[in-house]
Amino acid sequence: MDTAIKTEKLVKHFGKGDTLVEVINDATFEIKKGELVALIAPSGAGKTTLLMMIGCVLTPTSGKIWLGNELVYDNKWLTKEQRKIRREKIGFIFQAHYLIPFLNVLENVILIPELNGVGEAKAKEKALELLDYFGIKDKADSMPANLSGGQNQRVAIARALANNPEIILADEPTAALDSKRSVDVVKMLKKIALEQNTAVIMVTHDEAMVPLCDRVLTIKDKKVYNLAIDEYKNRAIV
Amino acid sequence: MINLAYKDIKHSLGKFVATSMGVGMLLGIVLIMIGVYRGMVIDAQVLIDDINPDLWIVQEDTLGPFAQSSRVHTDLRDTLKVLDGIDKTAALTFEGFQIDVNGKAVKVYAVGYDPLGEMSAINPKRLIKGRAILKEHYEVVATDKIGLKLNETIRLGRDEYRVVGITHGTVSSGGDPLIYLSLKDAQKLQFLYSNFRVRNDRLRGIKSRANDLVNCVVAKAKKGFNLEVLAKEIAKYRHKSVYTQEQERIILTKNLIKMASKQIGMFTVILIVVSTIIIGLIIYTMTLEKIKEISIMKLLGVPNSSIIKMIVQETLVMGILAFFFGLLFSHLIYDKFPKRVVLQNHDAAALFAIVVAASLIASLIGIKRVISANPAEAIGG
Ligand SMILES: Nc1ncnc2c1ncn2[C@@H]1O[C@H](COP(=O)(O)OP(=O)(O)OP(=O)(O)O)[C@@H](O)[C@H]1O
Ligand SMILES: [Mg+2]
Repeated sequence: MDTAIKTEKLVKHFGKGDTLVEVINDATFEIKKGELVALIAPSGAGKTTLLMMIGCVLTPTSGKIWLGNELVYDNKWLTKEQRKIRREKIGFIFQAHYLIPFLNVLENVILIPELNGVGEAKAKEKALELLDYFGIKDKADSMPANLSGGQNQRVAIARALANNPEIILADEPTAALDSKRSVDVVKMLKKIALEQNTAVIMVTHDEAMVPLCDRVLTIKDKKVYNLAIDEYKNRAIV
Repeated sequence: MINLAYKDIKHSLGKFVATSMGVGMLLGIVLIMIGVYRGMVIDAQVLIDDINPDLWIVQEDTLGPFAQSSRVHTDLRDTLKVLDGIDKTAALTFEGFQIDVNGKAVKVYAVGYDPLGEMSAINPKRLIKGRAILKEHYEVVATDKIGLKLNETIRLGRDEYRVVGITHGTVSSGGDPLIYLSLKDAQKLQFLYSNFRVRNDRLRGIKSRANDLVNCVVAKAKKGFNLEVLAKEIAKYRHKSVYTQEQERIILTKNLIKMASKQIGMFTVILIVVSTIIIGLIIYTMTLEKIKEISIMKLLGVPNSSIIKMIVQETLVMGILAFFFGLLFSHLIYDKFPKRVVLQNHDAAALFAIVVAASLIASLIGIKRVISANPAEAIGG
């Protein structure tokens, strides 16, 4: 299987001198295309930090990051346009839906594909397909304010998929959902990973989700471990 | 491509339109003030255009008869008349009065001219009711704005005058409505001293005769004579200051334009700065209100250029909307002002250009905030 994400000796420190916060001292791991990976660690361990570095949002202190075959970070960003990488390669999902309140559902979903140069008609077609898949096609013209939390979260997931990303980074996507809906979302992410050959990293605090995933990333003593499900269970951490 | 500005404006339309209307009122006031200035410049020339002489002969070394007080002898009219190159002459008086109209004090400007003379101060085109003055005494022609009716009588000095004619649109260079009197009446009102003063002067051997003086003499030249040369000759031999009609026009408008344009320019600048600040602050708060969404957009990969375009477009739309509200506002209220307000398209066009430029400046603080928004901070935790 092809590599989707690879990191080598990734380090992230915040601040300097007295205010120095060492969050991650060594992240060296590899995630393959089609894998759904759970990122589980205690609060403050650096899960979001790690995700944001992989997502080219946060600049690491040192180390290397590959996205697909492309080395994007080698002690410095190798491209000036991290935002272009983000909108072309990555789909983001968060705990809150973070939809743009002045755009309707359909416009929220086609925003990034259109910026990527996909024509309006094509972007709309794909967006409606996704909304249909999530059972909210009839809400395409609604404003986010008029949808329920669960509906909005599904729109947010549709938005993350709309640009056919190679990587999906999901930061606690199920935290706001009940357990049944949580399982649905994770199963869906799993399905997407398989069908679209997309790598998905999903931050979660919910151990019950682990069996649904392919592997587990965890952070202990500022070091990142990439474990198989069995390995993770046997370690009995957290 | 989705137009973010359009979507955002639609989303907060009420607030957007309300702000535009508020700023629009300020811009409307700017237009009115410019209109007042235009009106002043036009007013300043009404009277001299109605009299329409070629030459103004006034007291030596003065800028009379309007910008500075001037007195010349009435008989100058007759001595000038016989000069080579002079066709017609007239002696005129000008004086500000306060008269009582139905119990209200009204400031007017009185023009005295000889109803039997060669040149009339009344432009027949402006006479809308009645007639010009025919008798040498106790007749008055008044501007409609004063509120006098035909055949009404008013008191000036010690005498009653009958309104025999009504004019429209006649004002002094300062914008006060005009009344016209016969030269003799006007001289009496302006130059005849109080009884006490007359007695006092008599005892000192000074003879005061009201009919001796006027404020200026005007003249029409014969065809083919150079006005400048005529003016120079009269000035030299009669010891008077002489201005051509165009020079008089410049005396009336140059200072006025200088002063008034400075004054109105100051107000205009202040109001435009205030409008810019208001638009800037509103756009800034609107930007702050959606800074979270903007950070999310940045995180998702929306380029700064798209977001900045949204801010700039919103600011421009607000400015332009405000301008049109202002235009509407100014047209709704301009005729309610006591003095002449003249709204000109080219002034509106200039203001439009200024508003567009000001809007671009106003968008800057919003843009600065957009650029500094950190996508990593978009999502808490
Ligand atoms: N900009 C920053 N400056 C300084 N310290 C930071 C900054 N961002 C994060 N940190 C610190 O880095 C550590 C990891 O934060 P992070 O948000 O990655 O944790 P997390 O694992 O996502 O926690 P949670 O489960 O609560 O979301 C925390 O101690 C946090 O205080
Ligand atoms: Mg977190």
